[in-house]
Amino acid sequence: MIPILRTEKLCKSFSNGATQQHVIKNLDLEIMEGDFTVIMGASGSGKSTLLYALSGMDKPTLGKVFFGDTEIQDYTNDQLAVFRRKNCGFVFQSIYLLENQSVLDNVLTGAFAVQKNSPELIKRVKELLAKVGLDEEMQKKYPNQLSGGEAQRVGIVRAVINEPKILFADEPTGSLNSASGGDVLDIFTGVHENGQSIVVVTHDIKTALRGTRVIYLRDGKVVGEHRMVKYGGDDLKERREKLTVFLDEMGW
Amino acid sequence: MKIFRLSLFNLKRNKREAAAIVFLTLVTAFLMATFAVSITQISSAFDRCFEETGSADLILLFDDDKYRDIYRDILEEEYNVTDVREGRVLVGIGASIISKKGESAANNIIFADESTERKIENFKKLNALPDDEIKKLSHPIWLPQYFEITGGYAPGDTFTLVSGGRDYPFTIAGFYSTGFFNSSRHMLKCVITDDDMVLLSAVYEEYRMIAFDMEKEFSYEEYYEKCAARSNESVSSIVIFFDKDSERWSETSFLNMFLYMSVFLSVVTLIATLFLILHKISKDMEEQMVQIGVLEALGYTSRELSRSYICEYVLTGGIGAVIGGITAAAFSPVMDMLTRGMINRDVHTDVDVFRILIVVISIIALVASFALSRAARVKKLPPVVAFRKGIKSHHFGKNILPLEKMRHSINIRLACKGIFTDLHSNIGTGICIIAAGVAIMFSVYTFDFFKSGYNGLLGVMGMEIPDISMIMMSGVNGENFCDEIRKFPEVEKVLLIQTTILNNVEIKGSNQSSNVISYSDFSLTDNIHPKTGRFPEYDNEIMISAKREETENRHVGDSIILKGDVCEKNYIITGIVSAMSNDSMSVYMTEDGYRRIRPNDRPNTVEITLKNEEDRPAFMDKLTALYGASAKDTAYAQSAQGSLEERIRAKADEKMAVLISQYGVTDIDYAIRIGDTIISGNSSRFVIKDISSVKDLAKSQMESIAAVTKTFSFWAVIFIAVVVAVILGIIAASAVKRQRRELGIMKSMGYTSRDLMIQLTLRILPVTIISSCIAAVLAVRVQRAFWMAAFGVQIPESLPLMIGTAAALVLYCLSVTYVSAGSIRKISVTELMTE
Repeated sequence: MIPILRTEKLCKSFSNGATQQHVIKNLDLEIMEGDFTVIMGASGSGKSTLLYALSGMDKPTLGKVFFGDTEIQDYTNDQLAVFRRKNCGFVFQSIYLLENQSVLDNVLTGAFAVQKNSPELIKRVKELLAKVGLDEEMQKKYPNQLSGGEAQRVGIVRAVINEPKILFADEPTGSLNSASGGDVLDIFTGVHENGQSIVVVTHDIKTALRGTRVIYLRDGKVVGEHRMVKYGGDDLKERREKLTVFLDEMGW
Repeated sequence: MKIFRLSLFNLKRNKREAAAIVFLTLVTAFLMATFAVSITQISSAFDRCFEETGSADLILLFDDDKYRDIYRDILEEEYNVTDVREGRVLVGIGASIISKKGESAANNIIFADESTERKIENFKKLNALPDDEIKKLSHPIWLPQYFEITGGYAPGDTFTLVSGGRDYPFTIAGFYSTGFFNSSRHMLKCVITDDDMVLLSAVYEEYRMIAFDMEKEFSYEEYYEKCAARSNESVSSIVIFFDKDSERWSETSFLNMFLYMSVFLSVVTLIATLFLILHKISKDMEEQMVQIGVLEALGYTSRELSRSYICEYVLTGGIGAVIGGITAAAFSPVMDMLTRGMINRDVHTDVDVFRILIVVISIIALVASFALSRAARVKKLPPVVAFRKGIKSHHFGKNILPLEKMRHSINIRLACKGIFTDLHSNIGTGICIIAAGVAIMFSVYTFDFFKSGYNGLLGVMGMEIPDISMIMMSGVNGENFCDEIRKFPEVEKVLLIQTTILNNVEIKGSNQSSNVISYSDFSLTDNIHPKTGRFPEYDNEIMISAKREETENRHVGDSIILKGDVCEKNYIITGIVSAMSNDSMSVYMTEDGYRRIRPNDRPNTVEITLKNEEDRPAFMDKLTALYGASAKDTAYAQSAQGSLEERIRAKADEKMAVLISQYGVTDIDYAIRIGDTIISGNSSRFVIKDISSVKDLAKSQMESIAAVTKTFSFWAVIFIAVVVAVILGIIAASAVKRQRRELGIMKSMGYTSRDLMIQLTLRILPVTIISSCIAAVLAVRVQRAFWMAAFGVQIPESLPLMIGTAAALVLYCLSVTYVSAGSIRKISVTELMTE
C-alpha cells in the first residue's frame, strides 16, 4: 500500500503562559491510501491534535508532514486552505453546518470551493443527498430544521462531494443518538468501500469497528496498532472481541 | 449598580467600538460647539469693531466733481439725519503697491487725511511707532489692520504705491481700527498727511465721502430718486453705496462658509455615530440573545437590561461629547486667531459655556434616545423567546439566490446572499456613506475648483480678466488706439469697454442696482459664458446674472426696464451668466444698448490680453513710455534734468498734465519762442489716464481666500475619510466577530482568508455603489445651492470628476472594509473546532 500521509518527528506543543504542553511528541506515522484509519486514545492523548496536524488544519510545532511527496508543514494559512479544499474532506462532531444556508446550499458551498457550477454537479449533489436519505424537500430545509443525524449526513455529503483524496472525521457520531450514529457509520463504510481513504478520531468502539486500522495514542505517541479486514458485517462479533482485546492491552 | 456593571462588561468586550463612538461623538461635539460659539461671535466682533471705531453704518461715496450739496441736505431734511459726516477722500481703483514680499499687488485704496478720518471715525490707533518717531517721518501712513494681519507689514516698514512706473514710498506710522474699508475684497482706507493728500490728488480720483447712521432701513433707490428729482441729475452713476450689513456679510461670508461646512461635517459624524449605535445594539442583542434570556430567567427585568445598553452609550457618548465640548472651549483662542486672520480685526471670544453645554447635552440626549429606541426591543424578548432566538434560527421562507443557479464566482454569490441576511445594516451603512459621500464630494469639487489657486474664481467672475486695463483720456479715439495697440507683437487681444466703478444702472422693480458690462461684440470675450441663452447682439437685448435670475425670478425672454440718465428703456433678456463680480448682479449689453440709457458715455477702457502673461510689467512700462505715462503722474513729476529745451518740454508737459487731469481739458497745443528757436508740442501723447493690472487686483482680493478654502477642503476630505474608515472598519470587524463560526467553517472547507475577505467586502459593494451615486448627485445639488446662496454663481461641474470621485469613494469603502476584514486571518479553524 502507498502511504498517502506521512509524518516525521512530528511535534505539537501549546503554550499556556509560562507552561508548555507537548501534546504530540516526535511522532512518525504513515496513513495508507484506501485505509480506514481509526485513531483512538484517552482524553488528552492528542488524537484531535494529530488529526488537525495531518489534515493541514493546524501547523505542527516541529517535524514534517508529507502529503504524498509534498511537505505541507511550512505552508501559509492560505496555502493550507487551498491544500484542504483540493485534497481533504472533514466531518466534525459539532457538524458545523452554515446556519443561514439550506441543506443543498451547504453542500454546494463546499462543492463550489473546488468545482465550477454545472448541471452534472448539481445532479450529483442531489443524488448523494438522496442516497443518504435527504430527499428534495429535505434539501430545501435549513440546519435548525434537521435532526442531529440528518445534519451529520449533510456534513458527510459536504465532505465527500469534492471527492477528496482523504476524508477526516473528528468524533463523527459523538453528538448523535445510537440509531443516527449507526446510519452515519453505514455511510462512512459505504464511502470507504468505494476506495476512499478515511481517518477518524473516536472514543466510540462502534466507530472503531468500521476501520481497517486502529492506532492507539498515549501522551502524544503511537503506542499500539491493530489491523482489521474491511468491515463486512458478518464477522462483527470476532472483530469486536479482537478490538476489545487490543484496547484492553492499550489500557483503554 | 448592577446595570452599570452590565454596561461596563459590554464596554470591556467591545473596546474598539466604544473607542469609535467616543471618537465620533468627540468630533461631533467639538465641531458643533465651535460652530455654536463662533457663529455669533464673529458677527459680534465685527459689530464691536464698528462700535469702538465710532464708524457710521452707512457711507455714500460721490464723484467729487459731480457732488452737489443738495445730496447731503436731502439726508438731513428728508431723512432727519442729524449727524452727517462729510469729507474728501481719494480713491485708487486697482492701485498698485509693492507687497511685503516685494511683488506687485493691486488693491482698491481710499486715502483720507487725519481730519477727515476723525470726522468719519474715532481714528482708533493700534500698533504704532512712538510719537516722536512718527513726527520725524516725511511721508507717514496709517494702514487699516488688514495690512498688518494679512499683509504682514509692521510699523516702520515702507509701504510703496506705484503709479505710472513711479514709486510713492510711505513709512508705516502704525495701524488703526476701522469699521468700513478693511477688506481687500472691497476697499482699504489709508490715512495720510494733508500734504500727501495734495500730492496724491494728482494721481488718484477725488471723492466726497458722506457717512451717517439711520434707525430705519435706508432705501438707496428712494434716495437716488429724491436726489435726481431735486438736482435734475442722475445720481446712480456717480455714487457708490456702502452699508454695514453688506460689509459684514462680505467680510464674514467666507468664515461663515467654513463654519457651515464644519457643522455639515459634524452632522455627518453625528449620523455616523447614531447609525453605529443602532447597529451595535442590534448586533449585541443578537449576539447576546441567550445571555439576555439567562439574565431575565435570573430575575433581571427587561427594563434593567435595556438600561444597561442605554447606560453603555450614554457613557461612551457622554465621554466623547464632554471631551469635545472641553476641546471646543480650549480651542477658542485658536478660533480667535483664525477669525482674526479671516476678518482682519481683533477678536476676543468669551467662551460661551452655556452654548457648549447645550450642544453636549443635546448630543448625549440624542445618543440616549437612539439607544433607547433600539434597546427597548429587549421588552419583546421574554426568556423563552430569547432562548429560541438565541438558537440561530434565522433563515428565509424562500431561499434567496440559491447556489444551484449560480453562474459566476462562488465568492460573489455568497456575498450576494450575505447582503440579504444583513439588510438593515446595509441600509444604515448606505445612509452613512451617502452623508459622508456628499461631504467628501462637495469638498473634492471645492478643492478641484480651487486647485489652481484663485483661477477658478476668475473663471466665474463673469467679466474679462485682461492682463492690463487702461483707462483712456477723454477725447481719445478708442477704436484707433485699440488698433494701434493690436500692432504690438506682445499683444494677443484688445477689447474696448465702457467702464468705471460708477457705471451702475437701476432696474425697475429691483432693489439691486447693477453694474453694466458692455462690449460691441461679446463673442470676442473669453471669460463671459452664458449658462443659458445667448449673448446680446442688438441694442434692445440684455444678459443678466444667475443670481439676479434667481432672486428676481427673471428668465430668458422676459423684459426688463433699465433707468438711464434721463429715460427708461426696455430690454429683452437673451441669456443668463454665472457671475461673481459686482455682488453677482451685473447686466451685460452691447455698446449700442448701453448708449440707449447713457447716450453721452463712450467706451473709455482698453483691455489688453498678452500672449505671454510674464511680459506684463515690461509691456506696461512700454505703454507708459509711449503714451505719456499717466497724465497725472506727469503732473506730479519733478522737472526733468537735461538741456534747456528738454527742461522746457518737461515743464510744458507738466502744465498740460495738470490742465488735463484736474481741469478736464482734452486738447492742448503750445509753442514757445526762445530767441530764434520755437519749441512746440501738443497733448497728443497723453493718452493714458490710468493703467492697472486687473489680475493683480484679483490676486489681492482672492488669493488668500482661495488658498484657505483649498486647504480646508483638503482636510475636510481627509477628516471624512477617517470617519468613513472608522465606521466601515467597525462594521467589518463586528461582522467578522459575529460570523466567526461561519467563517471558521468556510475556512475548514478550504476557503482562504482572502476569499472570505473578498466575500465580506463584496457584500457592501451594491450599497456602496448606490450610495456613492446618490451622494454624487446630492453633492452637485448641495454645491449648486451653496454657491448660488453664498456667491450667486454656479461653478462648473465636471462629469469625469463626479464619476471619478464616486468611483474613488466606492474603491475606498471597499478597501477599508477589505483591510478591516483582515481579522479573518486570525480565525483559527482548530480553535473553532476545539471550542
